Amino acid sequence: MQVLHQMLTLSYWEIRRFFTTMSRDLLPLSVILVILLLLVSGFAAQRGMHLQDGLYQIGIDSPAYFDVIGADTRFSVYDTSKLSGVTPRNAGLDLKIEIGNIQRSPGEKGKAAQKSFERDYQAYTDRIYQQQDDIFAAYPLWIQNDYVTSELNFLATQSGEQLGISGKAFSEAPEPDLPIEEVSPPVSSIPADSEELRMSLAEQMTKDQEQLNRYTGIFSKKGTTEIPYKVPSLLSPPLPFDTIIFIFVFIFPLYFSSQFFMMSIMNERTLRQGEALIAAPIRPSVLVLGKMLPYAMGMILLASAILLVVHVEIIAILPLIPIIFFFLSSALFIGMISRSYKELSFISIFFSTIATSYLFFPSLFANVHVVSLLSPVTLVVYVIQGTGYTLTDYLYATSLFYLTSVILFAICIRNFREEQLFSETSMIEKITSYLGGLIMPRHWWFSLFIIGLICIPFVLMAQMMYLVLLFNLPMPVSLILIMVLAAMTEELAKGSGIIALITAMPGFLNPRILVISSALLALGFLVGEKLLLFVTISQISDSVFGAALFLNIGMLWMPFLLHLVGVGITGGSVLFKGPKAFPIGVALATGIHVLYNLYLLRGWIW
Amino acid sequence: MNLHRTWVITKKELSGLANEKTILLAILLQLFIALFSSFLMVGLSAMYDPATYGSVTGIRYGVGVVGNDTVLSHLLDENPSFKAYQMDLPKALGALKERKLAAVIWTPGTLPEDKDPVSLTLYTIKNDIQSAVIEVKLKEIFLKYENLLRDVRSDRITRHPVTLTASRPVSTNTFYEFIYALLIPLLLFMPAIISAGLVIDLITEEYQQQTLDTLRTTPASLHEIVWGKIASCVILIPVESGLWLVLLSLNGIRIGSLPEILLQVIFASSALILVAAVFALWYRDRTKAQFIFSTAAVILLLLILAFPGNPLNIIALLASGSPAPFHWPVLLIFISFCVILSVMIRGAVRRTEDG
Repeated sequence: MQVLHQMLTLSYWEIRRFFTTMSRDLLPLSVILVILLLLVSGFAAQRGMHLQDGLYQIGIDSPAYFDVIGADTRFSVYDTSKLSGVTPRNAGLDLKIEIGNIQRSPGEKGKAAQKSFERDYQAYTDRIYQQQDDIFAAYPLWIQNDYVTSELNFLATQSGEQLGISGKAFSEAPEPDLPIEEVSPPVSSIPADSEELRMSLAEQMTKDQEQLNRYTGIFSKKGTTEIPYKVPSLLSPPLPFDTIIFIFVFIFPLYFSSQFFMMSIMNERTLRQGEALIAAPIRPSVLVLGKMLPYAMGMILLASAILLVVHVEIIAILPLIPIIFFFLSSALFIGMISRSYKELSFISIFFSTIATSYLFFPSLFANVHVVSLLSPVTLVVYVIQGTGYTLTDYLYATSLFYLTSVILFAICIRNFREEQLFSETSMIEKITSYLGGLIMPRHWWFSLFIIGLICIPFVLMAQMMYLVLLFNLPMPVSLILIMVLAAMTEELAKGSGIIALITAMPGFLNPRILVISSALLALGFLVGEKLLLFVTISQISDSVFGAALFLNIGMLWMPFLLHLVGVGITGGSVLFKGPKAFPIGVALATGIHVLYNLYLLRGWIW
Repeated sequence: MNLHRTWVITKKELSGLANEKTILLAILLQLFIALFSSFLMVGLSAMYDPATYGSVTGIRYGVGVVGNDTVLSHLLDENPSFKAYQMDLPKALGALKERKLAAVIWTPGTLPEDKDPVSLTLYTIKNDIQSAVIEVKLKEIFLKYENLLRDVRSDRITRHPVTLTASRPVSTNTFYEFIYALLIPLLLFMPAIISAGLVIDLITEEYQQQTLDTLRTTPASLHEIVWGKIASCVILIPVESGLWLVLLSLNGIRIGSLPEILLQVIFASSALILVAAVFALWYRDRTKAQFIFSTAAVILLLLILAFPGNPLNIIALLASGSPAPFHWPVLLIFISFCVILSVMIRGAVRRTEDG
């Protein structure tokens, strides 16, 4: 009860401080800026983005082709009616239309220009055909998509000839192995009249063509009149860059708000302003959580407000909550370790880019690939599409975010003390001393086990990142890169346990202790790995990439021995050659780890 | 203002960055983004153009055709990537689920010359990256089929579009526009955003850590201190954007008119840095200055993107070797912006010295 009271008091102080420092000279200008922002976005939406204007030079010999180019500002148009027979390159052009024939200059640019022109031509023919009285003569073919689910989903990531769907055609029609289920055939005629289809077509086409409209149209679900049938030219979706809009709309405002928390922490540290607070008889956890509470509430409110404004169901807030916690915990950590403002800026820019990529890139493949579920943003996409998500999806997409946030909070709270906050040591030293703070000297053996356990979510997150980054590269390269990086991350994480031990208890490490601590770290690592794999990623671990990352499903003593040897090597180098040898130790351990993985994977590779 | 003392301040800030090794983070970030953009290239082009996978040409995907549509079966068999099988629906869907087929097409049996449209149903595997690829390949077939049907029904069409043929067709998707008109301009302005944030940090830090008075006891005047800090941030611009240009060239991307591009980047970025410096001198508080500056930066970016001939557009044109008629006028405009902002900074510094 008293704890809650203290926490709320701190929150109240924080809110009051925020508003007193912010209001005086900032409020008038912020109001002006917000109004300006709205005006300018309206203006920009109306005028469009002018990034590609005049990119291509096209020569035409008849004004009839102006209809084809239409309002496409990418093309600078020249009259080449007097230049017949001259190649586009000699005329200084990328593209030249001569008596109904498209000619292009050699090279990538000519190809790109032709492709863009062909798209414009497609739009132009559509404009004409759409106005035909007999719509079924102009558009005689309509296609609807239907899907079946296959149990072998993830295997399809393997590129090249190892594609999931058999690349070899059978001479006879293939017979399914499983008993055949009865299915009802689709209706033979389109359940709509020609006028309804014309409307639906026009709608689909504007959505396909107007870039900006496509972006703003994501949120307004006016596609209700849309009929599931499409004409061939509209069949495959455009580049899936649409999800980037979710990053701008949801993630950036949240990230931005977390910056205020980061600055609040940093401000306590500049000129030791927070000394009185630390000296107060309040537990650090209450202190940190009390300071954080207003920001967390504010961010949740902000996210709900955004959802409300863009008319998305409020259930989409649930996947955003772990993102909020993740941002806040990292803000706390960065605010606590930075020595100066510029360091703060650089680290937070670095962090934000990586976090945004982690959130953005998987969601690019929403509806296409199961990897997309690594990002909670994909769940938001699902809610907007109206498909929703299951509890398993939620656990799968968010558990890593929840776990890493909680662990980061715990580490920061343990180190929220005077000697850590007001010292000006370099980042690596600081992280080392934070690690050291995790060791309880009387129960060092238990602490080591815990360190092994809690580094798992971070390791997994990094490994997921590699997966996202590299799974599209050609096959042997992607596999080898993932394997090496994954092994290095694991060795680094386990080795950090040894670093923690020598920081907290200098001179304690000897060969006997090294063996014991290696075993403890390996055990913690193994237990954590298995626990988390159990909860979340059984799907990914089925693939060959999963095999590269989490090989060790089978027998338990083999991976245990591997982890033990890995830490042993890293620890040994530190013990005999000093802390400077840590990178060498990690490199050696990584080498052994990769060899072991290669040995186990040999069935997949050769 | 003494140039030598300004330079001393600049050197101090640069060596501070080097000591904290934060600049390494910036470079690491660049490498990371370069890696990601090549991921985007490879990944997306693989998704939309199966030929990038290389040796997939020998592959024939089996497609189950349900119904008696001989035209469609013929079109599929004609294409080296597909083989059509006449099947009934339950059996075909069963085979699709077990990935023995790549797709199943259900046909209604409408005749080409009928009044009604031909409405097909295409079955593929849900949530599958490869089905996306197959769909793109099937689209070609469907487009051919549409043209055939349109020809049969052409007497019912009242107005025809002008016909165009390509002397050399383009089969692969290119990412030319994405690289030259989005990636390159945005990447070259990323150092500007980092440097603008940096100048705010460098200036507000002296105020908030109360180290400015100590610094003022040296012979350096406030003008020299502020300009030294701004100079250190401006110097980073050509270094970082130069690194980008090198990284892009290593990725096999050819970029034209390098000196002109660098000039545009330097002056447009300097304008942004000077705007940030004005806010920093005005607020003398990192949170406030960063907040106002980032909002203002978004507004500025949206505003200049609304006009053709903005620096990002010009960089796209220069890099791709297209004529950029507004290059010199725009450069002049940005140089005059820089001059105006410098005068504002002088004023802001004087205000501080008086107060």
